[in-house]
Amino acid sequence: MDSFWNPEHFRIDPSRPLYEQFVEQIRADIARGVLGPGTRLPSVRELASAIRVNPTTIMRTYQELERSKLIVTFRGQGTFVTERIDVIQACKRAMAKDAVQKLREVAESIGLTLEELLDLAKKEED
Amino acid sequence: MNIGAKAKQAIDCRQVSLRRGKKEILREVTFTVGHGQIAGLLGPNGAGKSTLLRILTGLLEPTSGEVRLFGQPAGISSLRQLAFLPDRESLPHWLSAADWLFFSEGIYPDWDPQKAAYLTDRLSIKLGTRISDLSRGEEARLQLLTCLARKAPLVILDEPFTGVDLISREQIASTIISDLADGERTFLIATHDIREMENLFDRLILIGGGQIQAVDDVEELRTAGKSVESRYREVFS
Repeated sequence: MDSFWNPEHFRIDPSRPLYEQFVEQIRADIARGVLGPGTRLPSVRELASAIRVNPTTIMRTYQELERSKLIVTFRGQGTFVTERIDVIQACKRAMAKDAVQKLREVAESIGLTLEELLDLAKKEED
Repeated sequence: MNIGAKAKQAIDCRQVSLRRGKKEILREVTFTVGHGQIAGLLGPNGAGKSTLLRILTGLLEPTSGEVRLFGQPAGISSLRQLAFLPDRESLPHWLSAADWLFFSEGIYPDWDPQKAAYLTDRLSIKLGTRISDLSRGEEARLQLLTCLARKAPLVILDEPFTGVDLISREQIASTIISDLADGERTFLIATHDIREMENLFDRLILIGGGQIQAVDDVEELRTAGKSVESRYREVFS
């Protein structure tokens, strides 16, 4: 397994579906460039055994990431991070929208718009 | 790993009861484990886990009920189908690990010498050491090797982690996963070491007081916001 990417650092919440958490963490690693375009991912068996989770969980994780085109499997060669920068960019945008939506919900929960929330946070720093 | 490929359940335990005199040790135990699954048999001490495993392996006859492994009744004829790791020292302590592996090759018709060599390396087995001089962790690793070097499609482990140090536990868990990833084997693991194993199981069989308390799909539990540990507490406390 590539030493620059150390999945042993995955943090696991045992009361949420594991594959969802791995999808999120690998997606973030791809977005951040820790897993660069074209990087080979460990096999299902390697990854499952390195982080000691059920192989089915990793299979589901890879299936999900393949569905969103972030990773590609070539028969007999392995699984790789996509080389398509537009796909990675689109994924980043989706993550950004998601984060903003969550922040907007926080803002609304205290009776503010998103813009007001950001202004207020900046003001307090002064 | 094509779980649906074989229709037969790896383990089909139906209404198994065991009485000793007036004492009811197991009562109408019913559950199944599908081909290629890794199931955890969990429960407090004295729940009947080891007794149930002995019935599944055909070492013990139930008072009533039936166990089928891959569709065949459990018993002498099903011994080839399964590799069993019992919970107490079961290896001949006067032999060296190397001698034991040499004899195993003769004892088990489905022994795979290449796999044994690979596992010796992977599990860091000290070949020259007498079994009586091995630490608990080293012995547990040798026991696991003895199960996994066979081609038996069902592997039953009784408390593989008891008294085993952290590094050995991690080695044991990784080795089981690596083996499981081939999709050819089914595992049933009795343990009360929930934390070490909870990310491995895809099915839980919770037993207490000789009776099944719950059978759960682990991903379904997590979707409902429960962990293996919280489910265990919910059922047993």
